[in-house]
Amino acid sequence: MPTVERPPLRKPEKTFYFKTSEHLLRIGREKATTLEELLKALRECPDSSIFQHTFRTLQEHHFIRQGFSNDFAHWSLSACHEPILAEQLASVDVREFTDIAGVRGRMVEIVEEFLQEHPRSTARAAHEPFYFCAADLVVLPTPFAPDTLPDFVDALRQVSLHSIHHHFIEARLRLKRMSNDFSNWLEQEVGLRDTASAIERIDIYTNTLEGVRQQIARIVGQALN
Amino acid sequence: MKSERNRAPSPDQPQASKTLTVVEPPASRPAAAPVRPGRELPSSVLTPPVPPPPPHLDDYESIIGAAQVEALRFLAADVKGKTVKMVNSTAVGGGVAEMLNRLVPLLSELEVPTHWEVITGGNDFFEVTKAFHNALHGTEYELTKNAQEIFLMYNEQNLQRMQFEEEVVVIHDPQPAALIRAKERSKAKWVWRCHIDLSNPNPSVWEFLRPCIEKYDAAIFSSQSFARQLPIPQYLFYPCIDPLSEKNKELDDSVIQKVCDEFGIDRSRPIVTQVSRFDRLKDPVGVIAAYKLAKKYVDCQLVLAGGGAKDDPEGSVVLQEVKEAAGNDPDIIILDLPPWCALEINAIQRASTLVVQKSLREGFGLTVTEAMWKGKPTIAGAVGGIPNQIIHKLTGVLVHSVEGCAFQIRYLLTHPEFARRIGMNGREQVKENFLMTTNVKRWLLLFRILSGSKPSPIPT
Repeated sequence: MPTVERPPLRKPEKTFYFKTSEHLLRIGREKATTLEELLKALRECPDSSIFQHTFRTLQEHHFIRQGFSNDFAHWSLSACHEPILAEQLASVDVREFTDIAGVRGRMVEIVEEFLQEHPRSTARAAHEPFYFCAADLVVLPTPFAPDTLPDFVDALRQVSLHSIHHHFIEARLRLKRMSNDFSNWLEQEVGLRDTASAIERIDIYTNTLEGVRQQIARIVGQALN
Repeated sequence: MKSERNRAPSPDQPQASKTLTVVEPPASRPAAAPVRPGRELPSSVLTPPVPPPPPHLDDYESIIGAAQVEALRFLAADVKGKTVKMVNSTAVGGGVAEMLNRLVPLLSELEVPTHWEVITGGNDFFEVTKAFHNALHGTEYELTKNAQEIFLMYNEQNLQRMQFEEEVVVIHDPQPAALIRAKERSKAKWVWRCHIDLSNPNPSVWEFLRPCIEKYDAAIFSSQSFARQLPIPQYLFYPCIDPLSEKNKELDDSVIQKVCDEFGIDRSRPIVTQVSRFDRLKDPVGVIAAYKLAKKYVDCQLVLAGGGAKDDPEGSVVLQEVKEAAGNDPDIIILDLPPWCALEINAIQRASTLVVQKSLREGFGLTVTEAMWKGKPTIAGAVGGIPNQIIHKLTGVLVHSVEGCAFQIRYLLTHPEFARRIGMNGREQVKENFLMTTNVKRWLLLFRILSGSKPSPIPT
């Protein structure tokens, strides 16, 4: 069988600077004891609260492979015993949004529609309140700054999972486009368009963050071989 | 007195269930004879061990990874040299002192010089603050003018005695809260770290303290539900455990075996354990009832390991109730341990197949954290801070009744793969959110924010 010769990999023009983000939890003013109050608070709470309970909670629960999506879905099930609403809220994939307004809008829409169809659920008291929190974020450098693909894979294996979350999940809010820092760099600096899009397709809701890291490393490793 | 702990039970004769406790002179025992007499504890636990030196930051690398330790160093570099004073009301005993014993050296190692001072007061002061503590937890209490004066007078005495030259002053709990009056003469940022549940405080005590609290620059609570509406920023710092402490460090199997042998725990059969002081709010009698229901279907032993019965009159009454509920079941092992038995508790938790914490009320529930850290499938009451730790069926199991607890014991003992998975998730939950190193990170982030570094609310 003749082998197809692939063009040599391009050396990246720019270094990939691995960063990480840490956060401090602030207790917010909003609190919901019914789904009606949840809807009101979802409309009025600061963006940082929506971010905390959707994007950020994924980092706090990065080790769960399935069954946890966001805090609103979790509360709808555990405190309100509304499995339909919980499933609908859990189906919201934060990676389909490039801003918080979009995530908020989708959550509000789901709760609104649910309450229209299930008016008796509107004011039923939850087993426990939902307390809105918010994250104060601090982005930190790391010692990892690869400028070759093998070094990139090596660094990827060593950085913290917080760094993976920062570059892979939170990134689209910074980039304002449906991508992530890894795919962006691989496509723009190394010309690996297919690799970049394979990474972008990784499902974060059926993987732990460690699993995501390993998948990224494997996909980039395939491009190297 | 000879220990009976190593006596082999006769296979055809029921052996009285095991109760190990510090033996007291007969005269001090309750008049009503317990169902079973107390037995001697192994001599190895009768005196407190010498505490080991506190660990260094590098010692945590094998637990949280080099990258996380590096992140702590980066964070600390931004606040390097910033001076901090921590103030609380006791140097030994209690969770706050235990936490400060580890936190202060770690912050200092990160070049954030941190000083810890303890306020002083007479018996009258501590009687008032104890009453305040209970009242803030919701107990009925009549706040008198005299109690207010005692509280303020001792705070004023401490205020005159202490210097506040540091850049950040952290006041722990209500006892020293009125030291905030020194804020006018200091340049520091003042933080109130409240370790207690303020979700349903006695209104008179809370309204008395509120003007003090509102003068702080920030407040910290252990759970969202413990916070109050205040005009200052409120942060959430979960309580934490130290993975390198005697209570939580890794143990050789030989140590675990030795402790089990000493206490008569059979490791060849399933072990269900609850670790808690003998207190009705921990529902030890409910745990026995759940165990008895479960035992109709599955073989297991029940270990109730705790303390507090010796120095707490109510504790000894509860211990008596527990013994009566246990009856003559040889598979119920009741251990009334002195407070320094951290290593023994560690070994018992590690030997356990399941850990139960069937509390009816709870603060944060650090015994749940400890069990989860050891990878144990944990069944716990859905109260206090426990739901912050246990996500039902993902990082443990939440229950609301004796029957629910019994069912989960049966289920987890007969579904070991599910039990293993929630145990592993529980450990990861603690690693991510409830370890001492995470707490150090929170303090560093807070110091950074207090020093004017503006954090970002969302990625930009």
